[in-house]
Amino acid sequence: MLSITGLAKRHGPHQVLHDVTFHALPGRVTAFLGPNGAGKSSTLRILLGLDRATAGTALVDGRPYRALRDPLRTVGSMLDGPGAHRSRTARNHLSWVARAAGVPQRRVDEVLAQVGLAGAGRTRVGRFSLGMGQRLGLATALLGEPRALVLDEPVNGLDPEGIRWIRGLLRGHADAGGTVLLSSHLMGEVAGVADDVVLLAGGRVVAAGLLTDVTAGHASLEDAFFALTTTTEATR
Amino acid sequence: MSAPPARVVTAELVKLRGLPAVVGVVLGTPVVAATLAAAHAAAAAAGASAGGLALATVPYLQVATVLVGVLAAGTEHAGRQIATTLTVTPARWRHLAAQSLAVAATSALTACAGLAAALTAAAAWGPGDGVPGARSGVRPLLGALVALVLVGLLAHAVTVLTRSLVGALVATLTLLLVVSPLVAAVTEHARWLPDRAGSLLYLPGRDPVLGPVGGGLVLVAWVAAAVLAAGCASARRDV
Amino acid sequence: MSGVRTLTAEIGKLAALPAAWVAVAVATLGSLGVTVLNAAGVRDAVAAGDSAALGYTSAVEAAFSAVPLGTVGAVVLGVVAMSSEYTPNGTEAGGGRQITTTLTTTPSPWRVLVAKALAVAALVLLVAAVTVPACLAVAHQLVGDVPDVGAPHDAVARTVGTAVYWVLTALLALAVTVVTRSGLVPLVVLVVNSSMVSFSLLVGRLTPLARFLPDAAGISLFARDWEPPGGVALAPLAGGLVMAAWAVGALAAAGLVLTRRDA
Repeated sequence: MLSITGLAKRHGPHQVLHDVTFHALPGRVTAFLGPNGAGKSSTLRILLGLDRATAGTALVDGRPYRALRDPLRTVGSMLDGPGAHRSRTARNHLSWVARAAGVPQRRVDEVLAQVGLAGAGRTRVGRFSLGMGQRLGLATALLGEPRALVLDEPVNGLDPEGIRWIRGLLRGHADAGGTVLLSSHLMGEVAGVADDVVLLAGGRVVAAGLLTDVTAGHASLEDAFFALTTTTEATR
Repeated sequence: MSAPPARVVTAELVKLRGLPAVVGVVLGTPVVAATLAAAHAAAAAAGASAGGLALATVPYLQVATVLVGVLAAGTEHAGRQIATTLTVTPARWRHLAAQSLAVAATSALTACAGLAAALTAAAAWGPGDGVPGARSGVRPLLGALVALVLVGLLAHAVTVLTRSLVGALVATLTLLLVVSPLVAAVTEHARWLPDRAGSLLYLPGRDPVLGPVGGGLVLVAWVAAAVLAAGCASARRDV
Repeated sequence: MSGVRTLTAEIGKLAALPAAWVAVAVATLGSLGVTVLNAAGVRDAVAAGDSAALGYTSAVEAAFSAVPLGTVGAVVLGVVAMSSEYTPNGTEAGGGRQITTTLTTTPSPWRVLVAKALAVAALVLLVAAVTVPACLAVAHQLVGDVPDVGAPHDAVARTVGTAVYWVLTALLALAVTVVTRSGLVPLVVLVVNSSMVSFSLLVGRLTPLARFLPDAAGISLFARDWEPPGGVALAPLAGGLVMAAWAVGALAAAGLVLTRRDA
């Protein structure tokens, strides 16, 4: 379970997050939605121990990410693309990640095949298209066979086939008892897969709960999103 | 600083192996070093020893170990690889120690290859006695190896601190190759600069105040200070 | 008109690069720092009456001995002006390069290259115009009234020479980077060559022809009583012209590469 409690983040005079609280539960896909600049990535970066919170906690199964013994076997993550230097090959990237994470090398070929990059292992990351870069990022997230997946904008740059594939992947992961937290600003892509929704606007949670509850009274998730986020903007 | 698990050090070595620029430095250094030693040998006066001619290439070999250090840390920040690195190994000090060890090993390999190639070329083309190291002994060459590895570690720490490949590269090379000789021309206090102090490891007796051990310790102190600053900075800041 | 627009755009791009400002800082503050150290050394040696310890014999020499730092700054400016065009933006995969935008906005590669060269030259000239007189003033202030060797007009000639040397160095760096696209190799080679262990000086020990190499040829623009190993230095004007010929040739070659290569 991923638990975010009272999270606040300040960059100089800018308050990026205000008292953000929500949970992502096992067996469920939690969609983390909000416009650009709402604070989604900041929240995920704090959850993954990359940035420090000004206040509040972000815990993985009750522990901060940095205290996890083998973090990649617990949480697989992808932030903004593959996270590999462009001059190395996909296989070299996965290979060093596997070594550092204590994951057997055979997983490298397995995840390359799983994300559809089996033929591209020797290709340099800089030659990848945006979608292939996303797939490599997903491969890195899946490498340690983690219980939880934290993905920032995973459908960005994927083609329709890729989007359908990732929906199936996330659904399957949750149905097998795993936890999935994914951020997105693409409502339509998320509505089809999410169980729970957390709506963020201006660094505040404006709605959280079952997808059906949040969309109740609105024609679609997209309508609910605009209705909820614009009222927040107006009252600020 | 807790000792990093071997697997994290191995991962850092695999990472360096995967960078074409680092592979280029490791493979290119012996070629360049041999050429430079041959050029020095051709220009040298009669009686110059092969060991002495090989040591004349150390200022250039510094560039190679600086590149290893700068590339190891600089490529983390060219793009977002650092996020991957620190999600896999969240302990900042542990990661810094592992990457420093990998840089030291790669620098040692590069410096060894460079010095060996320079020695061979100097022995082949030099006017000296033709027996590598016979006149100057092996000790200065080992001293040069230690100095080169320490310079690589210094460059690595500076890059972790500044997070800029170009900035750290320019700053380190300018300090070692431009500022240091300029300062040495005007003041004896230049002996406290990292490369001047380190040069006492292979050019003993060059300085009346610091000996080889003293010079080596001054360079170690520079490296320790830089690594400490880099570790504190990376432990505190957001990625 | 569109030529002016391209030039303005290139100046704006250069000024927006953090590395460009690092280069300016190295050239300006670095030169001043070395000048202060040198001048203090000269002053102490004069006070002690120790003429043998004089590394640099006068205030003017103290200032001009700092030229290599400006050369490093010029190299960095020339390299990053071009290498930034080829650095992929944002993410590692699928990132676009700025050169695509540049060449779709201004489809003539020659015009882009000339505008870039002018922008780099203008910035380096500005840096030189501030740095060299400032170094001279600081040196005079610190050293005091020690008689200078050489006529006062020589200091002016050397100041102009320094500016020309820096500009030509930056243009050579720019041209080389057009060909390599990556900034790493030209940066390393040219910074080493601006240093005391310059490859050109080493080659000079083997053949007197080395004085016609671009950087060695131009040294007499700012240095006096400089003797390259194993040869006689070119006269300032001749040396400057040789270096300028290298720079023009390199830019022409770069232009040809830029027109023939796919962006």
